[in-house]
Amino acid sequence: MRMKKLGAIAIRSLALLVVLGTAYRAMAQDATTPYPNMAPIDHYLMTDQGAEIALARSAAPQSISRDAAVLVLGRHGFETAVKGKNGFVCIVERSWTSAPDPEFWNPKVRTPICYNAAAALSYLPRNIKRNDLILAGRTKAQVDEAIVAAVEKRELPPMEPGAMCYMMSKEGYGGDSVQHWPSHLMFFYSQTDPATLGAGLPGSPILAMSDAQEHLTTFAIGVQRWSDGTEAR
Amino acid sequence: MKKNQTRKVLLSAFILVTTLIASGAATAQDAKQPYPTMAPIEQYLIDRDAEIALARSAAPDAISHDASVIVLTRHGYETAVQGKNGWVCMVGRGWMAMFDHPEFWNPKIRAADCLNPPAARSVLPYVYKRTELLLAGHSKPEVIAAIKAAIDKKELPALEQGTVDYMMSKSSYLTDNGDHNGPHLMFYETAKDGAAWGANLTNSPVLSVNYWYISAEAYPQLKSFPPLSVFLVGVDKWSDGTPAPPM
Repeated sequence: MRMKKLGAIAIRSLALLVVLGTAYRAMAQDATTPYPNMAPIDHYLMTDQGAEIALARSAAPQSISRDAAVLVLGRHGFETAVKGKNGFVCIVERSWTSAPDPEFWNPKVRTPICYNAAAALSYLPRNIKRNDLILAGRTKAQVDEAIVAAVEKRELPPMEPGAMCYMMSKEGYGGDSVQHWPSHLMFFYSQTDPATLGAGLPGSPILAMSDAQEHLTTFAIGVQRWSDGTEAR
Repeated sequence: MKKNQTRKVLLSAFILVTTLIASGAATAQDAKQPYPTMAPIEQYLIDRDAEIALARSAAPDAISHDASVIVLTRHGYETAVQGKNGWVCMVGRGWMAMFDHPEFWNPKIRAADCLNPPAARSVLPYVYKRTELLLAGHSKPEVIAAIKAAIDKKELPALEQGTVDYMMSKSSYLTDNGDHNGPHLMFYETAKDGAAWGANLTNSPVLSVNYWYISAEAYPQLKSFPPLSVFLVGVDKWSDGTPAPPM
């Protein structure tokens, strides 16, 4: 029983590492990707706006997300569906900002996330820009290049102190390889050595993913409950 | 029930129960003060080797093995082991808590803690200062005044970005409450309160307290201190990799 539990923890941690790693395009493009091109835009949209709002809000406990702004994906990018009161912003990410490279165009991916005010100011603009470019028909390479250039020119801001987000939804779809993300928090820093926070070392509860080109380091910590308070392990 | 107990322990560690703060039902001054004064110094001291081992148990071996270790003496903390990775491990005593914490003088508190390099540079100096002054016999108001003066003269540093403490020891005694312990990470931010991280809200995995006080009324001079919040995130394993009780 104990071994089983330990194994589950290890698998969960590994899954989180894999998902985070791939989410930031650390993995090389897989030539055998089942999703080589963008699907028709309708496949990425949710026809029921109410369902998208609810899914977005499920990323964080209701005590946080009920007063958050909610953005939903339209044909040309994210649009404000609900104005918030507490500085948090919740969205449902699509494959091109959250899935492993082989699933960059997987139209089934839906990953809810709620950013705090600091992350909404500093990290979310990258996400928004990436979406806008994708929906405008740019290739992945073109989008990456544009984001890096915007970071270099400071058109996209560096990370604000205390920028973080909640990814605690029981719902959503992380992709075919990791269908459901573990419940976790993420913290956004401008380029930081992962070792500074002890991330990725044996036994450390902190995982990290660095993107030198974007001057961005993301740290993740698994948490023990889903956003609705039920146990996640 | 278990979840609430664990949260209570974590909050009590450095900290006090959120409901006490939120409800305003009782200020720290009103609360029971089971430890109103400092106990004899011997009660806070422990065997040096045991203290080093306990300090290191705050973080996984991959971190603490190469960390510096400081131990408490009659006059303050001193370096017992010189490290190589910039981390510093220690065993905190009750007075690391807020100045009006009911367990401030609890001689049983043994809070194993490994601070990362930014925390070692920008948080640890406050620990040294506070400890030395208290062990020299200064009153809390005197210590508060001395720290404020040191801040104003920039003898104490501003908080650096990216600070984190590992408090994952299975052997810590953080509070008289509940199971006395729970593995967690602590982040320091110059935020005025926990709202920036959604802390202390229902089902939030993040807890937050003011670094200086529970009630700003207890020691009014603390109101003029730079804002400093501590955010706690519980983790599911002890530093040795074994699973911890669910929060």
